Amino acid sequence: MRVGLFVTCLVDLMRPRIGFAAIELLEAAGCEVVVPATQTCCGQPAWNSGDRASAAKLAKKVIAEFEGFAYVVAPSGSCADHIRNGYPGILADEPAWLARATALSSRVFELTDFLVNVAKLETLPGNFSGSVTYHDSCAGLRSLGIKAQPRALLAKLPQVSLKEMNAAEECCGFGGTFSVKFGDISAAIAEKKCNNAVATEADAIVGGDLGCLLNIEGKLRRMGDETTQVLHIAEVLTAK
Amino acid sequence: MESRSHRFKENAAAALANPVLQASMKKAKGKFVDKRAIAIKEIDDFEGTREAAKQLRDRVLENLDLWLEKFESNATARGATVLWAKDGEEICRHVAEIGKRHGIKKAVKSKSMLSEEAGLNQALEANGIQPVETDLGEYILQINNNEPPSHIIAPVVHKSLDEVADLFEKVHKTPRKTEIPALTREAREVLRTHFLTADMGISGGNFLVAETGSVALVTNEGNGRMVTTLPRVHVVITGIEKVIPTLEDLSTLMRLLPRSATGQSISNYVSVLTGTKAADELDGPEHLYYILVDNGRADVIGSEFQEMLRCIRCGACMNHCPVYQAIGGHAYGWVYPGPMGSVLTPLYTGLENAIDLPHAATLCNQCGVVCPVKIPLPDLLRKLREKQTDRNLRPWLERAALKAWAFVAASPTLYALGVWFGVRYLKWLAGGKASIPVLSVAPEWTRGRDFPAPEGRTFRELYAQRKQP
Amino acid sequence: MSSREDILARVRQKLGRNETNAAVARAEIDTVLAAKAQGPRPQVDAEKSALVGRLIDKSRAYSSTVDQVATRGEAPAAIARYLIGLGLPAQAVIWPKLADLDWASAGVIVQARAAQDADLVGITGCFCAVAETGTLMLCGSVDSPAAISLLPETHIAIVPASRIVPGMEEAFALARKELGQLPRAVNFISGPSRTGDIEQTIVLGAHGPYRVHLILIDGA
Repeated sequence: MRVGLFVTCLVDLMRPRIGFAAIELLEAAGCEVVVPATQTCCGQPAWNSGDRASAAKLAKKVIAEFEGFAYVVAPSGSCADHIRNGYPGILADEPAWLARATALSSRVFELTDFLVNVAKLETLPGNFSGSVTYHDSCAGLRSLGIKAQPRALLAKLPQVSLKEMNAAEECCGFGGTFSVKFGDISAAIAEKKCNNAVATEADAIVGGDLGCLLNIEGKLRRMGDETTQVLHIAEVLTAK
Repeated sequence: MESRSHRFKENAAAALANPVLQASMKKAKGKFVDKRAIAIKEIDDFEGTREAAKQLRDRVLENLDLWLEKFESNATARGATVLWAKDGEEICRHVAEIGKRHGIKKAVKSKSMLSEEAGLNQALEANGIQPVETDLGEYILQINNNEPPSHIIAPVVHKSLDEVADLFEKVHKTPRKTEIPALTREAREVLRTHFLTADMGISGGNFLVAETGSVALVTNEGNGRMVTTLPRVHVVITGIEKVIPTLEDLSTLMRLLPRSATGQSISNYVSVLTGTKAADELDGPEHLYYILVDNGRADVIGSEFQEMLRCIRCGACMNHCPVYQAIGGHAYGWVYPGPMGSVLTPLYTGLENAIDLPHAATLCNQCGVVCPVKIPLPDLLRKLREKQTDRNLRPWLERAALKAWAFVAASPTLYALGVWFGVRYLKWLAGGKASIPVLSVAPEWTRGRDFPAPEGRTFRELYAQRKQP
Repeated sequence: MSSREDILARVRQKLGRNETNAAVARAEIDTVLAAKAQGPRPQVDAEKSALVGRLIDKSRAYSSTVDQVATRGEAPAAIARYLIGLGLPAQAVIWPKLADLDWASAGVIVQARAAQDADLVGITGCFCAVAETGTLMLCGSVDSPAAISLLPETHIAIVPASRIVPGMEEAFALARKELGQLPRAVNFISGPSRTGDIEQTIVLGAHGPYRVHLILIDGA
């Protein structure tokens, strides 16, 4: 299975190890992983900011880069959702591109969804030990149905205990550009998320979207919590 | 009502700094969200019911002109007078004329958001008619110097018990009461007198039933029934989009509205009112007027925002919205708060007058999944953002930054260069620490939280190295 | 141009209305109105004892109380017991429709007229009752005035078991069949009036009754 990895711009800039963890997991599932070097961003910030022209330009770029693969996988529910469900709408007025976007759409997956439902990964390369609480990111949860998949993978790690937090499905307040346009509201929402997560006394807060994780980690540290780890699910699944 | 939506950011900052509001919002959230979650489980096919509700609302909107004519002719046949209002001013003019015609001195009102849109109370006073709000929440606001509501079904959700106790002591000049039942009883007694002495009742309308020419009113307190039973004149003020075809459709919607709004299987009172009282009847109004209001709605028909007109005003979107939960309803600045308000306010008051509202959402889609008529609220918010971009309404700097970023992101070489510098800059700022406390390029981020430090090199650099050992 | 014409003209223009599509749409509207299609329905067992059981359970869930008697003639005595039990005066305003019952023997002083503010107890019948939600359907008319179920602090409703229907749809169908057109005031009542406006704390007895008591007549 030839899989194109869409690294995501945040992972590229902030947490390369998540990208490498994703590769490790996909290879463990028997995939041939290719990382197109020209990739940048899926264009979601432009689309969500109301800039259709820029969003379309970047959508076409991603489609051209990835349509040759059997599958496209991203370690982010938000980006995967944008490529899968956003592109056809963005390119609705350009029939040729719409056809290409639609053809790509059904082959785009969020990492845990792909590992569980397509690649059917049985044995994990990692052996993380500790308690975790899982934050369900909005786009993954509500648009792609990512809920059971990360939990199924965590359950394969014998030394991991999952402590569910209250309101795990509620937004962390990140919201992409929202977090820098309305910083105070965003931080207030993040505080509620952090309080719910910390109340579980888990060693680590885990999620599938780096945007949310940076938001949660930033708030946690500002609140004076230096010990609770904030990790991407791929890091947990590959931790040695 | 004059819009303060252009001051959203300041309003929101004040709300975040208001401890009473914060405590109230925290309490309310649990009740609304948890009760709805339990109530929808009573419906075997909740998703199917949502879909049916969506379809029946769409059915009307797609032929709204003809459904309105159908409603009008059936309502008129039963003795009602149907009036039309283009805007808030015309609502006020109609009500003042009705008041003059029937020699009205006092009007009791059950909750009507359209009366808020129109600023009707001030107009009534100017015409010598005393308006009395009778929904407990609306009454509390009225005696507190006509404070605006902060929620469409729970108008004083932002207020604490203490604040209400203080207000009643001051306004009613009675000994201070601190128990909610005692305060409720006190308001009941004050308002009972008004119900019995008013000569006009003003209500909104949850639905207009075309089949029968009726208005359906949904209340818990019973004030809606009082207002439509006791005074000799009843005026219904409602939006043109509220028509539904049949009583069967009303039955379907009644499985959704109370559950979505208050987590009730049904509201205490569902009244279906048709026409005027018969000559020998012992109660009921002698005159019934409908004021069917446009105030921006007609222009939404046929547009990419038409789906918004399906809205049945349950408030579930705001109850479940993380932003609304954080700041309450006043910050939104006009009649309708939360996600539905962030769509309606720009549509009804002008895109340029509510520039922040479409952006004041994380697009988490919690609103979309709870909406009983399946309005894709995040999509509509995003479309409004697009309209703003098309009309160059966003701040210059934001537009320039977005364009520059998109230009760079479209070029792999430029992008690689950009992130090469970016990651090193951030790493330098962190100075060996795990977090960056102040980030001058994103001050909004770091005012309330740290910015985690990057690892130090980009994925693309490391990956390229790994491939060429 | 009148506001009516202005508003409708703009809606028509937005919808691309013309004579041809108007004719088609009018036919569709007539079809919809005639079809009276229902949405998905929750399962409600329509067998009589199941309807009675569900009405009782759901009414209680809505803070109503329920008593059962065998015949309509036993209702006044049951009502007297209820009022005495709560220490309420055995004096009530009733629907003129109920004036034929033997109230005097039961010791209840009744007046059949419109409700007044001073009335503490209001006694009504009902057009029918909806089992799905534990709801009474009252139709206003000359012998069943609406305010009797509204102004008094205590509302007592006499509910024949034969008049319990599964859902609101059946209640409306019954009204169409028996009354022809909807009466001026159809009120669906589910328990005492309530408010949650102050701190979302539910308080019974907002503007209407503090208590609703059902007298279910099994044999009627």
